[in-house]
Formats: sequence, structure tokens, C-alpha cells
Amino acid sequence: MRPLDWIVLLGTIGFIVIYGIWKTRGSQDIEGYLKGDNSMKWWTIGLSIMATQASAITFLSTPGQAYEDGMRFVQFYFGLPIAMVIISVTVIPIFYKLNVYTAYEFLENRFDLKTRSLAALLFLVQRGLAAGITIYAPAIILSTMLGWSLTITNLVIGVVVIIYTMSGGSKAVSVTQKQQMAVMMGGMIIAGIMVVSYLPDNVGFGDAVAVAGKLGKMNVVDFNWDWKTSWDDRYNFWSGITGGLFLALSYFGTDQSQVARYLGGKSIGESRLGLLFNGLLKIPMQFMILFIGVMVFVFYQFNEPPVFFNEGTKSKLYATEHATELRTLEANYSSIFEEKKQAMQSLVSALKTEDEAAIAIAETKVENLNAAGKEVREEVKALITKAVPNAETKDTDYVFISFVMKYLPAGLVGLLLAVIFAAAMSSVASEMNALASTTVVDIYKRSINPNGSPMHYVNASKVLTIAWGIIAILFATFASMLDNLIQAVNIIGSIFYGTILGIFLVAFYFKRIKGNAVFFAAILAEVVVLYCFYFTEIAFLWFNVIGCVAVIVFGFILQTLIGKNEKELVKV
Amino acid sequence: MKNNHPVDEEPPIEKPPFFNSWKGMYWLVLGNLAFMIALFYIITKIYE
Repeated sequence: MRPLDWIVLLGTIGFIVIYGIWKTRGSQDIEGYLKGDNSMKWWTIGLSIMATQASAITFLSTPGQAYEDGMRFVQFYFGLPIAMVIISVTVIPIFYKLNVYTAYEFLENRFDLKTRSLAALLFLVQRGLAAGITIYAPAIILSTMLGWSLTITNLVIGVVVIIYTMSGGSKAVSVTQKQQMAVMMGGMIIAGIMVVSYLPDNVGFGDAVAVAGKLGKMNVVDFNWDWKTSWDDRYNFWSGITGGLFLALSYFGTDQSQVARYLGGKSIGESRLGLLFNGLLKIPMQFMILFIGVMVFVFYQFNEPPVFFNEGTKSKLYATEHATELRTLEANYSSIFEEKKQAMQSLVSALKTEDEAAIAIAETKVENLNAAGKEVREEVKALITKAVPNAETKDTDYVFISFVMKYLPAGLVGLLLAVIFAAAMSSVASEMNALASTTVVDIYKRSINPNGSPMHYVNASKVLTIAWGIIAILFATFASMLDNLIQAVNIIGSIFYGTILGIFLVAFYFKRIKGNAVFFAAILAEVVVLYCFYFTEIAFLWFNVIGCVAVIVFGFILQTLIGKNEKELVKV
Repeated sequence: MKNNHPVDEEPPIEKPPFFNSWKGMYWLVLGNLAFMIALFYIITKIYE
């Protein structure tokens, strides 16, 4: 990192934090602290919702996912706009009518205290774990790339967020997220322009997209469905539109980190418009981030990529007695790349002349050489497994940041790092704020100390923001590397979201089912989801559907049984 | 600490912009989704 990068990074993050604290200064009551005095405009709500969902993992992992797997991950978001409409029509009016602070308050109104507490606890467990990963995911990558210790990086992200979230509550979270979104979008657009500008002179933008298509990266939509094999396919149209819909309904309709964003709206209209704004822009945003990943892939077809993107792990391997083997593999990889570079130029020329025969020959050659390069990478990974115990061999999360650090000019490296820090902070702030408000409103105020003064609950919220922040930092510090960071967060979410969504759907649409039935149905549904997670190969997006449907089905069965017993008791 | 922020006197919106009712806004979001899926399908087919 050069001095200019430090100035840009520290200046951007420092400005956002100081602005958030200054903008929300002054005494606050519980209404102001947890709901921002219901003063948020629709664009603040919309940007805040998008910033909450777009964590650092989005900016680190998504381009890497596109580099490896192409554009198809965008299908994961197809259910989101439908969910935004459903929530705007059904959920927002009810939350406003009941004037709730958290989504779970509504459940006591509809069912009973134990169902409210169960849903709140499921949320606290799920979101508490996710908050740790939200800090850990960028920290592990940034610490490797910047040469910082993991603990220091965790602390930097966590402590900065705790300061302004504790100071200004929900309003500080929303206010800072506007600036954070501007930094994120601006930084990513500049990165996209830079990567395209770095392509060889004879490779235009259209050629780059055509090359990506020929190498299988422009696979945006897949409508194919096979009843035997498609269930474990994580990203296709059908899992995106159904599983993605359930996940989005649950995340935006029942997860307090999102519910708090639109509960702070100036009116129902402002909240609705904020959500619909997200429904309009989320898919284009994800498309853009994935597309940048694809362009990085094309860039590395003409510029030699590292044999392994995680330089930290590679350095550890160099320090072992296997260094010579690694050097040989790297030399092999370089010679394959040089040959591929020529084949790529042939492919570009063939695409320009639209010579189908030449395209087919060049495409086959490039694919063969890519396969050969992949084999060498696999050998390196096998070597890492053998020589560096506990090292993670999946390096896709390092693809984008590695490109940024190596190729972007001074100043832009700092800006892109600010993008990642801002994204991490925006998500973690919403999570800490939601964890604190749910603990205070649904557990502490409701079941432990119902007679405190408003100021007592504001102070309790502040203390709990710090407490949840410390828990998240500790979890981040001790978390071990997971398969793929963005998937880890989504998998944890999917394990719990289906059940929580099921409880809410029963509350909204199945008036016949009462508190006892839905409470035990939720416990049974969670057991079913955990069984599916541990003992089946079903793709995680389907857990949302399974958990949700299980709550409704078990709810009906149990309500019927409970109803029968009650009738018999009445007869006796 | 005293709060010196200017008072926001702008009335909250009750109707969506450009449309007479929320239904129009909902159809815009769903229509945009359908358009994007169709566009992505065309991109997939062109570059496959």
C-alpha cells in the first residue's frame, strides 16, 4: 500500500464514521434510538437496505465466483423483486398499524409470548453467527493481502462499527449507509472500467464479452430442470425464483437487521418505495459485480494469473521443503499460459472475422490449455494440503482483491479497500443494531425488566450493541475458514430463515393455526431442516422452502390434533 | 448534547412517483424482473 492509498482509505472511512456520529448527535429516546424517529426518506431506506445486504463478502466473493463459475449466481436474486412486492403489500401495513419496534413483537400480538421469544431467539442465534462471519470474511482476506494480523483486522472493523452504531443507533446506521453505498458503487464502477481498459489494444469490450461467452462465463440464465439431478444445483432459474423468493421474504420480512431499516421510514409510502427501489436495482447491481468478475477472468486470459491467488498461503508453502516442487509447477503453469496467450489471440482474430472453423479450433485449444492450467492449480492445491496444515485451498475469494492490489494505480487501491471496509461496516452495523434492539425489546424489556424508564432501555441498547459487537469480534477471531464465505453466510441463513418465515406466514395467512400449534411446528420444522443439512445433498436454497412449508404443514396437523383434544376436554 | 439539526418539514410521500396507485409501482418492479430475465436469456443464448 502506497501513502496515497492510506490517505484515501483512512479519509473515506474516517469521514463516514465522523459524519454518522455528527449527524445523529444529541440526546435520544428509545423511539429515536431504535427507529430513527421515523424520519427516513425512501432513498435513505432503499440505500440502507441495499447496503445492509451488500456485505464485504459480496464484493470479495462474488467477482471470484464469476471468475470460477460465470454469471449464473445472479439467478439467486430472481425471487427478490417478487418478495419486495409481497412485503410492501402485506407486511409493511401490519407492522405500521401495530407500531412495532421489531418484527417479533407482532408474533405475540398474533400468537403468544413463547412464539415471539422462539422467533427472536432463532434470529439472535442465526444473526449472531452471521455477524461474526460478516467481520471474519473480509478480515481474513484483508489481513492476508495487507499483511496485518487477523485479530487486528477484526478489531479495526468491529470497533469502528461499534463506536458509531452505539453512538447514534438505527439512524446512524442508515445515515452512514448512504455514504457507504456511494463509495461501494463508485469504487466498483471504476474497477470495472479499469479492468476493461487493461485488456490488450486489439481486444475491445465486445470482443471481451464474446471471449467470456466462448469460455462458458456468460451463462446467466439456466431454465433446465431435471427432477433427478437439479435439486443439488445451487444456481438455476427455478431454485432462484422459488428458493430465492422464500429466502428474500424471510430476510426482508422477518430479519430485524432489514426490518429495522424500513420501520424507520417517515410513512408507509416511504418504506414501500425504499423496498421497491431495492427490488428494481438489486439484480442489476449483482449483475454488474459478477460481470466485473468475468472481465477479470478475461483479463487473466491475456495476463498471467498467479498459480494460487492467496499469496499468504503460497508464501507459507515456499517456506517448506516443497518450495522446489512449487517452483516447478509455477514454471509449468507459465509455459501453459504463454501458449494459451497465443491461442487467445487466435480466438480473438477468429471472432473478429466470424470464421466459424477458426473459432472452433482456437476455442478447443484455449479450453484444453485452460484445463491443463487447472490441473497444475489442482497439483498446487494438493501440495498446499500436504505441506501447510489447515490451509484453505479454495482461493476464489482472493481473485478480485489480488487483481486490485497488483494492477490498480495508487489511490484506487485505497478506494477499493475502502469499498470492502465500507461494505463490511454497513452490514455489521445493521446486524449489531438489530441484535441489540431484538435483545432489548423482545427479551429484556418483555420478559426480564418490563418497568424500566425509556432512557434505561436506550442505555441497555447501547450496552448490548457493545456486547454483541464483542461477541461478533470474538467469533470472527476464532472462526475457522469455511468453504466459500458468501455461501457460508447464505447457508447459515437458510437453515433458520425457512422456519422463521413459516411462523410469519402462518401469522399472516393461516388464522386457524394458533400459538401452541405454531410453536411446536416451528421446533419440528427446524429439526427437519437440520436433518436435511446434515444427512442429505439438497442445495441450501431449498432449506428455506422446506422449513417454511414444514411449519405450515406441522402447524395444520398439530392445530387439528390440539383442536380435537380441546373439543374432547370441553365435552368432558 | 443539543441537537441542532434542521427540522425536516417535507411531507412524507403517500403516493408513488409517476403512478396513480401502488399497483402501478408493483407492476413496474415485476415487469422489470421479467425484462431482465428475458434480457439475460438472450445474452446467454447469444454468447453460448
